[in-house]
Formats: sequence, structure tokens, C-alpha cells
Amino acid sequence: MEGFFSVFTVELLNSGIRLATPILLAALGGALCNQAGVLNLALESKMLLGAFVGILAAFYLGNSYVGLLVAMAAGGLLGLLFAFLYHKYKVDLVILAIAFNLIIVELTVFVMRALFGNVGSWSDPSIVRIPDIQIPILHDIPFIGPILSGYNIIVYFSWLVTIAMFIFLYKMRGGRHLRAVGENKSAAETVGINAVLLQTLALVISGALAGLGGAFLSIGHLKLFTRNMSNGRGWIAIAAAMFGVNHPIGVFLASLFFGFADAFSVRIQNVTDLPPNLVKLLPNVATLLVLIIIALRSKIALSMARRRFRSQLRADEAARPAETSL
Amino acid sequence: MSLAIEMKGITKFFASTHVQANDHVDFSVESGEVHALVGENGAGKTTLMNILYGLIRPDSGEIFIDSQKVDINHPDDAIKHGIGMVHQHFKLVPSFTVAENILLGMEPTQTGFLNQQKENMLVDQVARKYNLLVDPSARIQDLPVGMQQRVEILKVLQRNAKILVLDEPTAVLTPQEVNELITVIRGLSKLSYTIIFITHKLIEVMSVADRVSVMRGGRMIGTKKVSETSIPELARMMVGREVLLRVKKKDIERGDVVLEAKDISVVAVNGLPAISHVSFQVHQGEIVAIAGVSGNGQTELVEAISGMNSLDGGEIIFKGKPVNQASVGERRNMGMAHIPEDRMVVGLNLQTTLDENLIVSRYDHSEFSRYGFLLIKTIQEFAEKVVKAFSISAARPGESISMLSGGNLQKVVVGRELSGNPSFVIANQPTRGLDVGSIEFVHKTLIEERDKGAGVLLVSVELDEVMALADRILVLYRGKIQGELDAATATEEQVGILMAGGTLDDLEMAETKAGSRPIER
Amino acid sequence: MTQNRLLKLLDTIMVPVLAMISGLIVMGILIILIKKPLFESYAILFSTGFGCEKYGNCIFITALERATPLIFTGLSAVVAFRSGMFSIGQEGQYLVGAVAAAWLGYVIHLPPILHPLLLMLAAMLAGAAYGWIPGILRVKLGVNELLATIMLNSIAALVTEHLVQFPMRADKSTTAHSPVIDKTAYLTSFVPGSNWGMGFVIAVIAVIVVLLYLWRTKAGYEQRMAGQSKLFALYGGIPSDKSAIRAMLISGALAGLAGAVEVMGVHHRIMTGFSTGLGFDGLTAAILGQIHPIGVFIVAILFSGLKLGAQLGLQLQLEIPRELGGTIIGFIILFVAAGKLYEDSIVRVRNWFARRNSHSLKG
Repeated sequence: MEGFFSVFTVELLNSGIRLATPILLAALGGALCNQAGVLNLALESKMLLGAFVGILAAFYLGNSYVGLLVAMAAGGLLGLLFAFLYHKYKVDLVILAIAFNLIIVELTVFVMRALFGNVGSWSDPSIVRIPDIQIPILHDIPFIGPILSGYNIIVYFSWLVTIAMFIFLYKMRGGRHLRAVGENKSAAETVGINAVLLQTLALVISGALAGLGGAFLSIGHLKLFTRNMSNGRGWIAIAAAMFGVNHPIGVFLASLFFGFADAFSVRIQNVTDLPPNLVKLLPNVATLLVLIIIALRSKIALSMARRRFRSQLRADEAARPAETSL
Repeated sequence: MSLAIEMKGITKFFASTHVQANDHVDFSVESGEVHALVGENGAGKTTLMNILYGLIRPDSGEIFIDSQKVDINHPDDAIKHGIGMVHQHFKLVPSFTVAENILLGMEPTQTGFLNQQKENMLVDQVARKYNLLVDPSARIQDLPVGMQQRVEILKVLQRNAKILVLDEPTAVLTPQEVNELITVIRGLSKLSYTIIFITHKLIEVMSVADRVSVMRGGRMIGTKKVSETSIPELARMMVGREVLLRVKKKDIERGDVVLEAKDISVVAVNGLPAISHVSFQVHQGEIVAIAGVSGNGQTELVEAISGMNSLDGGEIIFKGKPVNQASVGERRNMGMAHIPEDRMVVGLNLQTTLDENLIVSRYDHSEFSRYGFLLIKTIQEFAEKVVKAFSISAARPGESISMLSGGNLQKVVVGRELSGNPSFVIANQPTRGLDVGSIEFVHKTLIEERDKGAGVLLVSVELDEVMALADRILVLYRGKIQGELDAATATEEQVGILMAGGTLDDLEMAETKAGSRPIER
Repeated sequence: MTQNRLLKLLDTIMVPVLAMISGLIVMGILIILIKKPLFESYAILFSTGFGCEKYGNCIFITALERATPLIFTGLSAVVAFRSGMFSIGQEGQYLVGAVAAAWLGYVIHLPPILHPLLLMLAAMLAGAAYGWIPGILRVKLGVNELLATIMLNSIAALVTEHLVQFPMRADKSTTAHSPVIDKTAYLTSFVPGSNWGMGFVIAVIAVIVVLLYLWRTKAGYEQRMAGQSKLFALYGGIPSDKSAIRAMLISGALAGLAGAVEVMGVHHRIMTGFSTGLGFDGLTAAILGQIHPIGVFIVAILFSGLKLGAQLGLQLQLEIPRELGGTIIGFIILFVAAGKLYEDSIVRVRNWFARRNSHSLKG
């Protein structure tokens, strides 16, 4: 048991936060789309595209930070294409996502192999990994310092985006309009809100965020690109958005949950006999439970309403004297 | 007496459903009046108003506001001209507050940041101005329907509407809320607002409108001053037919009770009672008609009897057995047939073939399936038989039915329902949207069933149909049986009075006085 | 075939065919971009994937073998979709079935024929159970089956990975795998050197069974009606809920069977990273195949042929990255989904047919 607790170090927290970051970025985008009423299952493709384009740009342009920007632009463009196909041709969202995911997985490797020969993964020594930043005063505070300082810029950016999204959705007019579109599209359109524009914006932003999340993996972490390097994180992001009920703070916590499970599962292998894969199972099962709870809640509300009105009916009949017509 | 609105020659054809929703409709409303637009479901009233509000573009026609010709292509244009619409299905965001909904799309902000306090104050002001008090911070989903409607009205007033269009405003309100709404409308009218409301509830028309226009089948039938007309006259205009159809009916002895409804009640989705303590019996060999303007509980009554929805009170006894817990399939197996109100969405599956549509109620009977397998050959032969027996043109086994005409589609439904020799048939608006020939066919067939000994429950809003087919007439009003008449002696006038909410006493009063008279309310 | 039925058939295959042509055009563009010979590429792609080489080694046989799991998971999607359930859970159900087969393959010892039969049965039961979960959640609680199956897929993948790495781990080798199943559990292959054999035959049988089930049985009729019009089903007395659950059971069983066949006919065990997206591939075959068993069969073979043609033909002979195959398939799905793109062409063809008809009437 002692071994079990030895896992809980600051290093674990650091690792958890890092692992959570790509998920957080993609999940925030996914949550934004959900709030706007468009289900975006193509996060995986945008992440992967960002990972690939980002590292390519970092290489060809000699600057990793520019690579990040290019990754965001690529993801955003993919999101724009997604929005265009959805709105213009009424393509089914799920099938569209499946197609995009498949195309990007294969196309990125195709281009990699076309450019660099028949390789399984690609890297280049000239590529600079995005460096970790030590925040001057914060770093020295005991306990909190090491937890909050020492990450690269993408991590801090993801925290900023969380807060920004919260402010946008709940404190700003555009965000309120977006939520209105997601909850009752015709109500929004009747008052002149441009639903198509807002949904497209959500898709573009989520594409950019997911693209950045992917770039985190390639430029910010592993310094290489390999086939399907997002490895299902796009789907985990979808789950995190669900678990966080599409609220930025909820999504933040959900992403941390998934990130920590990931970090935890790696470390636990060396120390105890606890099965690592089952640890990663926890957040997934939790998300499924959240889905069930949400469905149960509305079902119970419905049946309670019906029961309430039935008893009201009986009570009215008992109280009322012989009916007099109008 | 200027005209706030004048619509001339409005025409609209919906290709997707093959319906001429508006056929050269002329409609005008005077400034400051309360004008009711009435008609049955599908008469075209909502389409006309949607055109006025810019949600739909007409195929042809012109619109004048305050005698100026205008082009309304989008709700924004309508709003600019001072038209505000409160839709039947509220355009509200459930999780948002009252203030958020009222100010949606026009939130006061310089920087893009919202100020809830300011919004609440603004809404408070507006509410006080019109004396439509609301709690700005309450969430819509927590509010009763009457209050939600108030929010919708405020939303419209906030946008400086001078002309208010209310679509079926009383459809989901309790009687108390209806009275409150009437007060609100009267108040707004005094403030010189022009109000148009779409409805098919004639009693409300009589109590609040100045003038009323009646639409039927996409056409404007006529406009009357409320003080110069009566409910029976309006009902007649709404549901009457140009061609009077009389079918020969012979007198036969009716048999035992086949269906009995004992004190049944059904609560609608909005929590209001749709059917309240309704009791009646249908015997073998008789046609019992449930008459009444639509929206008085007919749908819920049919759903309860057929088993498509459950009862909230009372008992249904079919062929002597209580069937409250019996499923639709079980009731059908016991001999119940059902010709539904909506043949295209409920009565048929237009995505599949004729045969598959014809066996939906009996596919698991031994004649059509064995050991889990469908007997395709037998089914096809059955389909051919039905096509011949009911002269359904352009229908062939193995082929889609999506291209058939309304009349032929109904023949498929009727052919299926009646070919199993049912002992009880529910016929819900069986001739809606049909041509004269098909109507005649349906009437003939229903009478044949009755003569063969089946009990028929005819639910219809068409007075002519009710008078022609029924042996007994029950009038449904606000979910209750308002009265029962023997078809042999009943007059249209009497049925009309009951349909409008009158009672049998009122009938007597009307009989002893010379000529007909509207009932004072 | 009557004029009418021909027209109907053409209507159904029009979009997929146009989509495939468009996909091949995209392939052409990509090949030109990487400066490879255009027509040679097409020739090699098709001759390799769907043909036989001179010394009798038919890659087409491999295409058929690779198509086998896709046929099963595709059929699984067809049954689910045609009951109104938009389930993408084939991936998870496939794994569950594979685990069941792999486990019983070395834990129980039975004579040949019996052993594989047991494994298949077990896999189908396991898959059905895993398909039952989203079904009951949807019917009883209204949980969105799309979201539920996404989560269940993740859960199945994690549990499978765990099983392979620990409880079922065969040895300390770097790539974890389960013990090899008994030889008695193997599915025979017809051609030495390839894995094509009984598995494909079972797949063909499955296609026929699903075809019969959907259009010739009571249960199939029920679920199709419920899937096309819930109101009609309620009105007609069809038990929609029961029928939807039944469909999910069958759908899960088919996907589970895919896993069993993969284990018994190809790998003879499960190893780390066993699931390579075969569930999703089957789903795409169903979409392209117009949600029809025969469509699934044809498309599955086409997909596999394309992929192999890219892998063994384009890659080996022209040094074109084999991912081109997968890319084109993705584009084809995109084009199918955006079917409205082809509306104009379709209308033109239909008009041509109509004019021909009226001419013959007058004639």
C-alpha cells in the first residue's frame, strides 16, 4: 500500500495537467459546438491535422511558435469546411465526422511519406520543442508553485481559453446568442440571430483549438509526427465535453480527470499491481454514468409531472361542485 | 377607419405536400380592432399569417401596411413595419430567464458584455407599462404556460410592434388563463394596438373580437362583424361543404354494446385535462358520431380508445372485457380497427410498399406468417384482393405507395382496416382532404360496415358528415360530452349550439323562441 | 427486371457510383501532385487488388479475406440502422466477441467443428450482450445511443487491452498477446498461405441470413417499420421497443462474430492493439452500401481490394504511399454523404428515362 501512495507526487500532478491539455483544448471546442447545437465528432481529425501541419510548419519555417499558429489555422480551416458541407449540403454530422477522421488519418501519413520517404514517423533535429516556462514569483511559492509553474505556453493558453470561453458564453451577448441557437434554433432565428454564422464560428474555433491540441502533441511534447498520433484523444475530448455538461469549468475538470487517469495509470504500473488500463476506465465509465443520469433526470421529471397532474385532476373533481357551463 | 393591414390575392402552394395552402386570399384588418381569423386545421390561416410575418414568401399577392405597399421577405421586415407575432409553439429558450428571452437579439450593451441588472430593470419597465407583470429573473422552464405567453407578448411589444398576431393563443391555456389573456387583449386594444388572433375556438371569438374572418380549404370564405353573426353560423362557414352529400341509410336494429367508455379522463402533455369524465357506449350495428370543433379532446379520446395512449382515469370496456392495460396490438386482435386522422404520417408508412402497409395490423396472424417467416405470396394475393375490392388505382403489390393521391391512400387505409371484418371501427376525420368521389366512397363503406353489424365511432368536425352518417350524435366540448342527440331528430342548429358550448337547456330555449339566436355569454 | 425495378435499382446505386468515380478522380489529382504516372497507377491499383499475378498468387483472395470482418460489422450496422438505432458500437461489440473467442479458444478443449462452433456462439452471445446495453438504455431511459456506444467502445477497448496485458497474457514478450487458441478452433483456410477460408463462407451465409431476416421474417418487418415510422408502428400495433432491443442484440451478435472470425481464422489469439478500427470500417461499408446487406458485401470487397491494391501495388511497384487507399475511401464516404452534390446529374438521368418511357408509349 505504501507503494500506492508514493505515486501521488507533484510530478504526477504536472504530468496529469500536461496530459489533460490536448484533451482540454479539443473538449472546449467540442463543448462550444454542443452549446451551439452542432455535434462535432470530428475533433480527432482536427487534432491530427494540427499535429501534422504544426510540426511541418515548425520545420519549414524554422519557428515552432509559428508552427502552433499554422496548426490552429489548419484546424480552423477544416472546421470551416465541415461547417460548409453541413450547412450547404445538409450532410449528416456523424457520417461527415467519420469521413473527415478517416481522410485525415490516412492523408497525413500519405503526405508524410510522399515528402520524406517510406517512414513510420518523422522528426527532425532542427525542430525546437516548445519550451517550458517558469513563472518568476509563482514558481517559488511552496506547494502551489511547482504545480502551477513550469508548463509550456500551450498549457497556460488552454487555461486562458477556459476562462475566456466561460466569460464569452455566460457574460457576453455573442455567447448568449450562441446558447440560444443551440437550445432553440427557431427562437433565435425569429429574433434575427444568424444561426448559421454562429454554428460556423463554433466549428471554426473548435477546429483551431483541436488543431492546437494536436500541435501540443507533436511540437510541444514528442517532437515528431507518427501515424494516428492523436490516438483517440479526439474521442476522449468528446467524452470530456459530455462529462463536463458542455460548461467550460466542467470541461476543465473533466479533462483533468481524464488526464490524471492517464498519468496515474502509467505510474501505477511500476509501483503496484493495480491494472493501469482499468484506471483509465474510470473516467469513461463515469461519462457513461453521466449520460444515464441526465437521461434519468428528464424521464423522472416527465413522469412526475404526469403523476402530479393526475392527482390534481382527482383533487379538482373532489373539490368542485356540479359543473356549470360557461 | 383606416386599414392597418391589407393582403390582396395571396396565393401559396406547397409542392412538398401538394397543398394549396392559400388560394387568392384577400384579408384586411382595421386599425385598432381585434380581428379573429378562424378556420379548421389546414384551412390556411397560419400560412397566411406566416406570409404576413415574412416567414414564408407567397407565390403571388400584395401586402399593404397603413395603405403603403410593402415587401416582407423576412421577419426583420415585418418587425420594422410594426408587426409582431406570438407563435403557437413559443419561441422561447427554456433555460434562459424572462428578461433574457424578452431582450434576446436586442440586449443593451456597448462592449458586448451583458448587464443582467440593467436587463431586469428594462423588462420591469416594459411590464409595468403594459400592466403585464412578470418576474424578470424567473426561468422560462419554471413558469406556467400562461406566464410564458405573457413573456412572448412582452417580447413583441418590446420591439415596438403596433400590430400583434397571436397564433392559437388559447390552445394551451387554462380557463383562468384564457380570461386573463382576454383582459390583456382588451387592454391593448384600448391602447390602439391592432390585434389579429388565429383560432378555431369560436367562444373566444365571440367574447373578444370585433370582426371575424373565416377561412376554409385555403380560401377566404367571408368576414363578419361579431355583433352580426353567431357561433352556429361561424361553425357552418368553417366546416361546411359546398356539395351536400346524402347517403342512403337504412334503419337497422342495433345489437349489444361493443365498446363502452366509462368515466374516462386523459391528461394532455401540458398537464391540462384533455378528456374529463367522458362516458358513452357504441353498439353493434350503429354509427355513433363524436361531433365538435377540433381541439376539444378528439385526438386524446381516439388515442385512449385505440390504445395509443394510456388513460388517467376511468375504464374502457371492449366486447365486455376491460382493456385499459391492453396494447394496441391486443385491441386490434380483439377486433378493433382504426382509421386515423393523419393517413400519411400515422396510417401509412410511405417509405415502403403497398403490401407492407396492408399487413401492419395482422402480420403475425397465421394467415400471413408461419414459424416467424412472412408468407410473401399470400400477402401479395391479399394486396391484389384489396386493390380490386376497393378500386385503388395506381397501386400494385411490391411497389411504393408514396405517389398515390390522397383519395387512394385513404382507400389503402380503409381497405386494410376493414378487410379484417372488425367488430368496431374508429373513423377519425376519415374524409379530411379528400375529393368528392373518395368522400362518397368512405361514407358508403362506413355504412356498409354498420349494416354488417360493426360498431362505428365516427369522430368528425364536418357537420354534414355527422348529420349524414350518424345514428346518434355526441358533442365533445372542452373534453366533456356536452350533449347527446338522436340523429333522426337532431338539427344542425342544435348540434352547432352544443359544439359552441351551449347545453341542452339552451337548446330548449332556442327551440321555444322563433328563429335561431346566438347564446349570450 | 421490370422498367420500374431497374429504375429503383439505378436510383439506389447512382450516388455511390458517382461518389466512387469522384473518389477516383481525387486519387488522380493526388497522384499527379506527387508526380507519379497517372494511368499506370489506376491500372496497377485495380489489377493488383482485384486480380491475380502470373505465378498464381491471387491478391484478390486476400481482398476477400480482409473484407470478411468488414462484412460482419457492416451487417451489424445495417441491422441497427434499419431499426432506427443509430448505433456505432460495432467496434466495442467486435472486441467483446474477439475476447470471448480467444479465451474459450485456449481455456476449453473440444474436437474440431465443435470448438469453432462454440467459439462463434460465445462470441455472438458476448456481442449481443454488449449490444443490448445501449439498446436498453435507449428504450428505457432515453439515453442517446450514439453517445452511449461511443463510450462503450472506449470502455471495451480499455478492458480488452487490460485483459491482453495481464490476466490473459501468454508470455513476457514485448508485444502482449493471449495464448494461441487450440488448433481445433482454427477456421480452415482454402488456399495455403492465405487466411481466406471458412470465415468468408460464414460471412456470405451471414449476408443471406440478414437479407432473409430483414425482408422475409416477422421480426425483420417489425424493426423496419419501427425504424421508418415510429408513429405508424405504434398505430399498427408493432412492439417498437421490443423490436429495437432485438435489433441491437442481433447487431451486437454480428459484430461479435466478426471478432471471433478474426481470431479463429487469422490471428488465432488477441494481442495488444487488436482493434484497428474494423468496427468503423464496417460502419462505412454500410453507409456506402446504402444500408443494404448486398451493398455491404460489394462495398466491403471493393474497399479491401482498393486498400490492398494501394498497399501491394501502388506502394510496392510505384512507391506511392499506401495510405492513398484509405484516403480515397474516406473521400468516397464524404461524397456519398454529400449526395446532394449529384442531384443535378441524377435528375438529368431520371428525365432521360422518363422521356424514353413516354416515347415508347407513343411509339
